[in-house]
Amino acid sequence: MIVLQKGVRKLWELILINGLIIGGQYALLALGFSLILGVARVLNLAHPAFYMLSAFTIYTFSQVLDFNLTVTYILSLVFMIGLGVVIYQVILAPVRAQTSTVLILGLVLGIAAQELMLIFYGGQFRSLTRLASGTMQLGDAVISNQHILALSAVMLSLLGVWFLLFKSRFGIPIRAVAQDREVANLMGIPESRIAILTMAVSVALAVIAAAMVAPIGVIDPLMWLHPLVIVLTAVILGGLGSIKGSIMAAFILAFVEVSLVFLAPGAAFLRGAVSMFVMLTVLMFKPEGLYGVFMEGER
Amino acid sequence: MAEDFLQVERLCKRFGGLHAVRDVSFSVGRHEMVGLIGPNGAGKTTLVRLLLGILRADSGRVLFRGQNLLGKKPWEIVSQGLALTFQNARPFARLPVIANVMVSCLSPRASKRGEWVKKIESRAMDALEFAGIADMAREPASCLSQGDLKRLEVARAIACEPDLLILDEPFGGLSPTETGLMAKSLRRLHKGGRFGRLHSEGPAMIIIEHKLSELMKIVDRVIVINFGELLAVGTPEEIVANPQVIEAYIGKEVD
Amino acid sequence: MFAYLARKIWRDFQGEILALPTRTILFAAAVALLLLPLVTDDAYLLRIVATASIFAVYAASWDLLVGFSGQTTLGHSLFFGIAAYTAALLNLRFGLPAFLTIPAGALAAVLAGLLLSLPALRVRGPYFSLASLAMPIILMGLIFSFPGLTGGEMGLSGISRLAGTRTGEYYFLLISMFVLTLLMWKIATSRTALIFHAIREDEIVVRVSGINTTYYKILVFCCSGFFAGMAGSLYAHFLRVVGPSTLDIMMSLQVIIWGIFGGVVTIYGPVVGVFILYPLLEYLRIIPDWRMLIFAGIVVVTLRFMPEGISNKFQDLLERQCPRCKERNIFMRKECRICCTDIGTCSRVG
Ligand SMILES: Nc1ncnc2c1ncn2[C@@H]1O[C@H](COP(=O)(O)OP(=O)(O)O)[C@@H](O)[C@H]1O
Ligand SMILES: [Mg+2]
Repeated sequence: MIVLQKGVRKLWELILINGLIIGGQYALLALGFSLILGVARVLNLAHPAFYMLSAFTIYTFSQVLDFNLTVTYILSLVFMIGLGVVIYQVILAPVRAQTSTVLILGLVLGIAAQELMLIFYGGQFRSLTRLASGTMQLGDAVISNQHILALSAVMLSLLGVWFLLFKSRFGIPIRAVAQDREVANLMGIPESRIAILTMAVSVALAVIAAAMVAPIGVIDPLMWLHPLVIVLTAVILGGLGSIKGSIMAAFILAFVEVSLVFLAPGAAFLRGAVSMFVMLTVLMFKPEGLYGVFMEGER
Repeated sequence: MAEDFLQVERLCKRFGGLHAVRDVSFSVGRHEMVGLIGPNGAGKTTLVRLLLGILRADSGRVLFRGQNLLGKKPWEIVSQGLALTFQNARPFARLPVIANVMVSCLSPRASKRGEWVKKIESRAMDALEFAGIADMAREPASCLSQGDLKRLEVARAIACEPDLLILDEPFGGLSPTETGLMAKSLRRLHKGGRFGRLHSEGPAMIIIEHKLSELMKIVDRVIVINFGELLAVGTPEEIVANPQVIEAYIGKEVD
Repeated sequence: MFAYLARKIWRDFQGEILALPTRTILFAAAVALLLLPLVTDDAYLLRIVATASIFAVYAASWDLLVGFSGQTTLGHSLFFGIAAYTAALLNLRFGLPAFLTIPAGALAAVLAGLLLSLPALRVRGPYFSLASLAMPIILMGLIFSFPGLTGGEMGLSGISRLAGTRTGEYYFLLISMFVLTLLMWKIATSRTALIFHAIREDEIVVRVSGINTTYYKILVFCCSGFFAGMAGSLYAHFLRVVGPSTLDIMMSLQVIIWGIFGGVVTIYGPVVGVFILYPLLEYLRIIPDWRMLIFAGIVVVTLRFMPEGISNKFQDLLERQCPRCKERNIFMRKECRICCTDIGTCSRVG
């Protein structure tokens, strides 16, 4: 989803702002994805679908049922976290040992969500109400308040998760389970509860992405497919198991995409291909990804 | 001549700041059985992994029959005539035990050597019999006990028809009686004893082992390394009497 | 002499196929498919079965690469799409007949296999999965970049037919499917496949066993590419249009669903998966809105309760393994049909 802005604007400003926002959105999704992957060892391909579902939940509450925005966000958060945890507990967790089964279950769940939304809302593009109107003067640049809001919300959530994981008491058991679930279990850490908690956090991140970034663009039931590819790419490009890496990679991919769209608008359809090409090149030179844990490998 | 067979010169390997192997030089003769000992973490496993090309050495030379082995791929080295057992057994867990060995039999060296044997199954069976787990041949390898996994490693290595067999703790997980039997079979293999349809010309051996009493009985020569460096080389009697070696193993007495 | 031969074939048939219920079922299904055009001339049904046989080859080739060799690719559509486009372009631009374009398409897919084996030699596990996901997306970008040649979004149409009549096409595809999957099954039970299995389990150990893993990895990519490419070219000539959808990520993901649903590391499992899921999806067209949803629901429920895939589940239900000689027996037997060991008391082995 590319955010174009009206008005005369310097090219690099457009690239910077949109790159940061889209990168932030990808980063939130990649972060949630790699959290649940690291802690529960579940490759949840349905994760970007949660993002799509969140956008539609927010749409339903605010535009169909006409709740005010605060109520909408609280209700959506509660609803989505509940849904995520139930899906994890009932469908994904029991078959967690079979990675391939988890893989297609996640995928099929994503498709199911997409189809459900197609049935209820049809395939046309819709937009969410903006949270903030008006614009703001920054130096000689004019930026809409919605963009400022999205940018700060994204950065705040990234910081928040970093704080939760590395600076708070809650982070310790999560990181312990991510490092070695068996030992953590032996140490008396309730590993399955931690996994549920992580699932909740990761869904919450998807809701935040939807609440803050989705109003800038349009929403439709297929909006999860492109983020799916990007999130997978970011997690691998950054190096499996490295949160810093996947966030960095999300921003890199976003900037590649946005630069392409603004610098060569005629080639915008190549954005997927170019991101993939970047990833392939990095992997060929640095097989463990940008920040992958480098174990002296066997040849 | 010992120098013509395996010759290791000033081999070095670092893991980050850790010198796992530092300036190690030694040689092994065609008809020798050599023990490689040292306390835990001394770098023995790392050393033999370097020889097999599983890890890339930082510097040094490894000459095998006059050819440099460093920089070659593991399979090239194996087809030159080396073979290795892993310290922590790494079976192909979902394949039957016999299939684990058949993979080695399918390697170019083994299949060329055993041309006259029609079915590789029978050669794999012979290797399993040598190791003493022929009765488990059709079970999946994940069913094996720790000791049997060690034997599977040995069977796999000798199925490669090596001229130099490197065994990384082959007696781990075996009971004292089993250890004795295994030591005896290894000795017999080394002396050129035939095992069924295996080709075997009596490979030279490097054995890494902590059960020193068993080891000392069968080897001709012992190499001791500590903290990645060569500490001593000599006959078992010399090594047992060497104060440096005793210190490395037991620690220095505190006055 | 003739009677002797007939009796021998009958005995082999009894011993190899009738002895095991799953094989009997597969055989009966194959016969039923062969007889289908004689009992019905429902064009829609025949078309579905014919398309399913193309996808069956595609799914089995996926199993060869992913199930047997553990090279978990997320971009299997690369082979399918490249072959379909090659066959279509050769047919339309140079007027080559189908019997030349089909092998040419497969050849192109073999080359794509070589290309895909490059990252496989360098990166492993999930890193490789992602690298493979990239390839069809990049190729799709190329196709969109040269719309004059490739037809861009609209694709290419007007490709020549496989055979003159519908029934002819049906039999051509069905028999191609039998031949190709049988070939794959032969490969999968050969010595070489043993090395594929071993590479899946632990690649380093295979190298230390003296096997040139580079060679075998390239080999399996080319093999899988060949069969997927055959499917792709057949598809081009059967549908007579080739669009970017052949390279789509859904095309890669669908084959994973078919394969895992049917049961991996079997070759016939993915084939069964296709023949169950593809017609199901097609017949759900009567309720177009709910089609994908119901499909998804069925897959989720099936995998939730039989994560090992449907064909393995049925095999476990209908047959049990002799603990002594590891031959499979029908579940009713009290003693093994090969070695007469008593198996009535032991539990089923998976
Ligand atoms: N892949 C590796 N990466 C980093 N350090 C390693 C690696 N393999 C071994 N080491 C370290 O090298 C040292 C030597 O290990 P090793 O050769 O296994 O000792 P030994 O077999 O003599 O007990 C140990 O301190 C070990 O921690
Ligand atoms: Mg060791």
